[in-house]
Amino acid sequence: MDTHEEQLEHAVILLNGKLLGIVLGFLSGAGLFLATNFLLLKGGPHVGAHLGLLSNFFPGYRVTFFGSIVGFCYMFVVGLIIGTVLGAVYNKVAQA
Amino acid sequence: MKLSSDSAVAATPSIVPTSQNHSAPSLLLRAFAPLHRTAMGVAWGVAAGGLLAIVTLVLLIRGTDEALTAGSLLAQFLWGYSVSWHGILIGLLWGFALGFVLGYGFAVVRNTAVWLWLTVIRSRAEMDQYSDFLDHL
Repeated sequence: MDTHEEQLEHAVILLNGKLLGIVLGFLSGAGLFLATNFLLLKGGPHVGAHLGLLSNFFPGYRVTFFGSIVGFCYMFVVGLIIGTVLGAVYNKVAQA
Repeated sequence: MKLSSDSAVAATPSIVPTSQNHSAPSLLLRAFAPLHRTAMGVAWGVAAGGLLAIVTLVLLIRGTDEALTAGSLLAQFLWGYSVSWHGILIGLLWGFALGFVLGYGFAVVRNTAVWLWLTVIRSRAEMDQYSDFLDHL
């Protein structure tokens, strides 16, 4: 009984890095996909003038429908890497 | 209550292998164990610092006016930062510091929310348990 309470007091949760990466990747990819298509549907004289700056980092990305798919792929990879790094570093430090 | 299996629990000094252990205390640990605040801060710091350094490096290598202007906008918020080799280090440090604060804060808020939730559940359970106390007198 005492050991269980002690365990509960001192326990910390560990993260599944791969799963966190996939979730972050999907969310960030979906975010860019939706933001790009929102600007496309909104229209105007200079569609996505600021969002288009992302092409500095993501070659091939444009504020077009095809560009939103390319952006999804790029952001998915970025989110996947960030999530995996987050999980790995967190688990390493938490177990140290 | 259905418990997610996407996380494990570390209990000092040993790690509890929850994938093989489905006893009630183990499930409780998995459900209510707090996030490690410092670990979360370091993890976010490493991720944010690395991201900012890579972004600066990409902008520096491309070197177009548009890229430099976009990058230098960050200097409005990050003192000493610029799109330069020196700026990569500054960006790394700023990213780590901001990421650490965000990650640490996230863990504190999450742990507090779980603690509050547990307190409410416990209070309700106690109230249910003693609600008919006067009937037994």
